Amino acid sequence: MQRFDYILKRLVMALFVLLSVSFFTFIIARVVPSDPAAAWVGPHPTREQIEKATIELGLDKPLTTQYLRYMDGIIKGDLGTSITTRQPILTDVRTFLPATLELVIAGMLIAIVIGIPLGVFSGAYRGSWLDHLTRLVSIAGVSMPAFLFGLLLQLLFFRYLGLLPLGARISTEVSLFNPIETITGIYLLDSALTGNWVAFQDALKHIILPAVALATYPVGLAIRMTRSTIIEVLSEKYIMAAKVSGIRQRTIFFVLALKNAIVPTLNALGLAFVYSLTGAILIEIIFSWPGLGTYITNAVLSVDFPVIVSVTLVMTVFYILINLLLDIIQAIIDPRVTLQ
Amino acid sequence: MKKRKTILIILVLALALTACGGANTTPEAAAPEAEAEPAAAENNVFIYAHNTGFPDLNPASSFSDDLLIMANCYETLTFYNTPGSEETLSPKLATAWESDADSMVWTFTLREGVTFQDGEPFNAEAVKAAIDNTIALEAGASYIWAPVETIEVVDEYTVQFNLMWPAPLDIIAAAGYAAWIYSPKAYAEKGHEWFNEGNCAGTGPYTIQSYERGSRIVMAQNENYWGEWSDNQYQTAVFQIVEDPVVRQQMIEAGTASFTHDVPADNLATLDARDDVVVYANPAFQNLVGLFNTQKEPLNDPLVRQAISYAFPYDQFMQGVIGERGTQSHGPIPAGIWGHSDDLFQYSYDLDKAKELLTEAGYPDGGFELVYTFATGDLDEQQAGELWKAELAKLGITLELRPMTWEAQWDLGMSGSENAQDIFAIYWWPDYVSPISWLYGMYHSEEETLFNLGYYNNPEFDELIDIADAISSTDREEATAMFIEAQEILVNDAVSLFLYDMRNTHLARTDVKGYVDNPAYPHVVFVYDLHK
Repeated sequence: MQRFDYILKRLVMALFVLLSVSFFTFIIARVVPSDPAAAWVGPHPTREQIEKATIELGLDKPLTTQYLRYMDGIIKGDLGTSITTRQPILTDVRTFLPATLELVIAGMLIAIVIGIPLGVFSGAYRGSWLDHLTRLVSIAGVSMPAFLFGLLLQLLFFRYLGLLPLGARISTEVSLFNPIETITGIYLLDSALTGNWVAFQDALKHIILPAVALATYPVGLAIRMTRSTIIEVLSEKYIMAAKVSGIRQRTIFFVLALKNAIVPTLNALGLAFVYSLTGAILIEIIFSWPGLGTYITNAVLSVDFPVIVSVTLVMTVFYILINLLLDIIQAIIDPRVTLQ
Repeated sequence: MKKRKTILIILVLALALTACGGANTTPEAAAPEAEAEPAAAENNVFIYAHNTGFPDLNPASSFSDDLLIMANCYETLTFYNTPGSEETLSPKLATAWESDADSMVWTFTLREGVTFQDGEPFNAEAVKAAIDNTIALEAGASYIWAPVETIEVVDEYTVQFNLMWPAPLDIIAAAGYAAWIYSPKAYAEKGHEWFNEGNCAGTGPYTIQSYERGSRIVMAQNENYWGEWSDNQYQTAVFQIVEDPVVRQQMIEAGTASFTHDVPADNLATLDARDDVVVYANPAFQNLVGLFNTQKEPLNDPLVRQAISYAFPYDQFMQGVIGERGTQSHGPIPAGIWGHSDDLFQYSYDLDKAKELLTEAGYPDGGFELVYTFATGDLDEQQAGELWKAELAKLGITLELRPMTWEAQWDLGMSGSENAQDIFAIYWWPDYVSPISWLYGMYHSEEETLFNLGYYNNPEFDELIDIADAISSTDREEATAMFIEAQEILVNDAVSLFLYDMRNTHLARTDVKGYVDNPAYPHVVFVYDLHK
């Protein structure tokens, strides 16, 4: 019951956050000197075309009316129309979000599978060669720009070794001869669900490099966070007691210690997940990954304000949901955490 | 401890940089033998790695990079030939055309035995319905049809255009925007959204087979195309969106793309040296000018305008910034277009002359400020400004460089000569290929400012180009002479800083044969014309 109240309270607060985010983004995007009507009509328009577009887009109305109209649309599930792609933004987001989600989830899985165990080892065997090596990896991960790492991966795995493709989500041949039936828009999932293993293999090959590039920061972060909390937890009395009572070392590290150490790491990774949604921008461009990053970059460059506002809102929703989810997971893992 | 961390970071970065450097300097050594994807040519597939997406696939409103798709799916009545051809136009969906002596009534004879991809017959009714619809839509470049008053169906394969004022309708009908003939039935029944879901209903040689937004468009041969098919033509054409120029370069090198454009300019020489890649460099129908605000002090004085035209370091700009990507302009019409003349006076860098002119105009020590606006992020416009600023400073003139978004820059430009910037950097390209596009668009007087952002107002010039335009179909030679005369006025008046005419660079794999760059349809590959 307490948990339910907490969630409800958080959701009400989230509503206010969303309202203010939408308001400020809308105002900022609209006061930037630009003329959306001119962008709407194309490169060499006539006066009449611009005037017609101004009325069509409702830009002749005061800013507050424009905002209210926009919000009215949002409530009805209409995110507006993009000025540059001239498509409903909802359609655009539906097209591009799955690609980004697939990439970011793959990146986070890598971070969890590689980062957390390395962090545990590194913390448990502090000062060993393994610890030094892991710390080098984590520093490199946190400090090296992901796009640079992406380019290096392309050089190595495409150019020199010829093992993995340069970019895109699937290769042209596969899209021609084994097209993936869209269910969720997440290619790996869709191809697996429909038993299209040729496409699955191809999609997997394509996602490795961008996902690894995107994972550099979260891997580094996971290693560092896990390492430092493990070190802290290992000095606690209950661990000493466990050691004395002869429990296996691996159980101590990965069950007893990690259970208490993982909360801050998960928190950090949760935030990293949301940051990755926007941080994927450069990776997407380098790997020709048709996701939200490429979409939002073009929107910002052309001051496509409905897209900027709507995508910001979508990102905010993700941010709020993931934070909420993390809090709940924390409470389940660690009973000392109370939801208030 | 902290020091050690720093050393580590430096080591990692150094490693990274050597890896990059190695790749740039010795690409030959690393020619990829093993490829992750099979080479494009093997499967009779043509793959174009394209730098942007295709925002609007509606043939009536398309006014952007989607031109590439339009040009393979749809056709125009006439076709604009590549520069240097004997004739300006060649037949496409129209086999013959003529106008009356005043260019007021145009009659097109249509090709017989053509069907649209949706099975509808192509005839005079369809042409009328499609163009009427495009005009009524008032979107994209539909205004190219502005002179048209009515379209009449004379018989099944003859269509007549009655104009309100004389215009070269044969050239207009070849435009890359708003001139595509599409099945009116498909448009009426399915509309804008249907086209943008990746469908086409033209008469062209290819049709859209699949469309993954943001990734690629796959086009397949139109079996019912009125032209003949032979075995060595491409069965499938893939237009793949690849935003990163380095990646496009890697793809063309590895053979995973058959064709691309806009790769890092510094690498062109290395690419040109390869046996498996051909570099095509040709004049584009596009140029960069800096429009001077001719109504506002001090640039309302032609002497001052001439002086600052002499103060621009052309050679330094062309060699240091533009390199192979362009040539210094001769007046406002780019090289390769009819009406361009290499004999037009070209300003050169001459500070003494500039100083002399300034003294004559009453500004011996300069002492004024000018505002130069350009599109944020456009490095050419920016560097032109920076080089110029240094030279103008020597004359006592302060140049303020103001980067703005295009829309904001344009807004300021239209806000009246008193408020507007002194110099407006702008690229121009034509909607249909005629010098009038530049001369009318940027220099003809306007009641309400739209693109004459230098507020130039010269009745003599206006009259000259109005007449030249009217006779441009009936007497092309005379029209050309008049357009050149008009440009002489502009150059003498120093109405703009004439910077450079752009050149396009396209890259194709050696096994792709039959490609000809046609700047009238920028970056388009007519896949039908290719063979292996």
